[in-house]
Amino acid sequence: MRRHSPSKFILIASSALVVALLLGLMSGAVNVHPSKLLGLFSFSNTDLDSRILHTIRLPRVLLAALAGACLGSCGAVMQGLFRNPLADPSLIGVSSGASVGASCVIFFGGAGLVGSGIGLPVIAIGAFIGGLLATSVVYRLSTSMTGTSVSTMLLAGIAITALAGAATSLFSFFADNEMLRRISLWQMGNLDGADWPRVTTLAVVVVPLIFLLPREGQALNAILLGESEARHLGIAVERLKRRLILLTALGVGVAVSVSGVVAFVGLIIPHLVRLLIGPDHRYLIPGSAILGAVLLLLADTAARTLMSPAELPTGVITALLGAPFFVALLLQQRQKLVV
Amino acid sequence: MFEARQLSLSLSGFDLLQGINLQVEPGEVTAILGPNGAGKTSLLRLLTGETPPSTGEVIFNGITLDQWQPKRRAKILSVLPQGSPLNFPFTAREVVMMGRIPHATGLVKDTEIVDAALSVVGGSYLEKRFYTQMSGGEKQRVQLARALAQIWEPDGSGDRFLVLDEPTSAFDLAHQQLTLEIVKSFARQGVGVLMVLHDLNLAAGCADQLVMLHCGKIAAQGSPEFVLTTTMIKEVFSVDASIGVHPKTGSPLVIV
Repeated sequence: MRRHSPSKFILIASSALVVALLLGLMSGAVNVHPSKLLGLFSFSNTDLDSRILHTIRLPRVLLAALAGACLGSCGAVMQGLFRNPLADPSLIGVSSGASVGASCVIFFGGAGLVGSGIGLPVIAIGAFIGGLLATSVVYRLSTSMTGTSVSTMLLAGIAITALAGAATSLFSFFADNEMLRRISLWQMGNLDGADWPRVTTLAVVVVPLIFLLPREGQALNAILLGESEARHLGIAVERLKRRLILLTALGVGVAVSVSGVVAFVGLIIPHLVRLLIGPDHRYLIPGSAILGAVLLLLADTAARTLMSPAELPTGVITALLGAPFFVALLLQQRQKLVV
Repeated sequence: MFEARQLSLSLSGFDLLQGINLQVEPGEVTAILGPNGAGKTSLLRLLTGETPPSTGEVIFNGITLDQWQPKRRAKILSVLPQGSPLNFPFTAREVVMMGRIPHATGLVKDTEIVDAALSVVGGSYLEKRFYTQMSGGEKQRVQLARALAQIWEPDGSGDRFLVLDEPTSAFDLAHQQLTLEIVKSFARQGVGVLMVLHDLNLAAGCADQLVMLHCGKIAAQGSPEFVLTTTMIKEVFSVDASIGVHPKTGSPLVIV
């Protein structure tokens, strides 16, 4: 296993991000010629391609990039917090918790709320609260003085996901058609509702998050040594944990509220980045943000083009990639699971 | 100075520790001994602020331990618990570098200290190896280097202290000796050392003060000659031992 320099990696990943963004803008049900991309910067163009770019493609690729960056960096932080590389927001129930929160808001708020201007932020807050509850429960259950029990962590995730499934079924039972469609969309993980309000909502949370999380990198490194060890290095462990649980629940919550449960991004990305540049969170978190954006952009572009003009849900693509990856990781960790 | 005053600890109705009075002077090595379950690790946890005592208080360099600002305290108090749960592939250099987290001495200085700490524990060759792929003894050496790097140089905040919980448990004979040499050389620089040891002879060979714990109380405390007697060992460990004299160092030698 040879390590690469973090700065070189971040440079290459950033270039890949630019390429993925351009690719995402150009391809879809209608292919846009590269020369038209310049038209993005002038609002006077009113031909079809420019309108497609402005109202459909641009919000869509920005949403994918922001959600990917959010899930990638939150995944990296959670794995540090749980001291285990299997902690992924979708596997340990945080995404499900967030989707229950979102469903609750949609159900009790009614269709009127969803259509109105304040609908999205309110759904995001519901998702945040749901995600926060789920993270706190899983964390309390699975970590102790001596470390994290992987099996408890994954089992707690199963329990929360099952509970979320039951809640969603209950809501679906009472919901009317429009609401039903909305709720099931959250379960699938789809970016097809991309529009500017969603991009704004996501950006307001994710952009500050991407700058805040890497600042906790050094403290997270110390947490990996063990909680006592971190405390003896002068780190206020309890405060740090509370802050990180809050920030990741916020990130995952808002990502879920705009794009539903896109699984496995938070698992695959930090793992790949760790293989390439090592586990130091000061570089792992920004690296995971960039590579997460690249992965979700590519997955979403594939979802839009593979069966064009029909669209696959983006979550299906990431799950197809992620599930075998997860099984491989499980095999690798098998000895540790028997705890 | 590090001082425990009338410490006691009860957990769910059981008295784990009772009436502990203890002083660790800077520049001296103090070793805590005792059979399994005597409360050695609990005592370390009280002394380092991991667990709050049920009664009594811990005074560290003049003020009670919990009044110290965590970051400032970490500059002069380094604690090495038993077995770290670290299971991410950091290199030895990165692990030891974490010992410098409390300090703001800059990368150049920190790198020098990390190199020196790794070389002191005989671990320079581990520098680029992954922690997850090391043997138990190698891991323990890297962790020891980390604890040493944390208090490598005097700091304006007060006297430095090094607290180690069974630092030699995974070591072979050579590395046990090496650890004790390191501990003694830190003490000569004015660092107060407090450690839990299992091996009575190792303790006798390097400690200025021995503290014998038995059932949560201090059974004896003082110089190795005073603490390591046949009656004391019979009382605490229920073992008939003979006490000799080490031919080279002159310290007591427990022969079972």
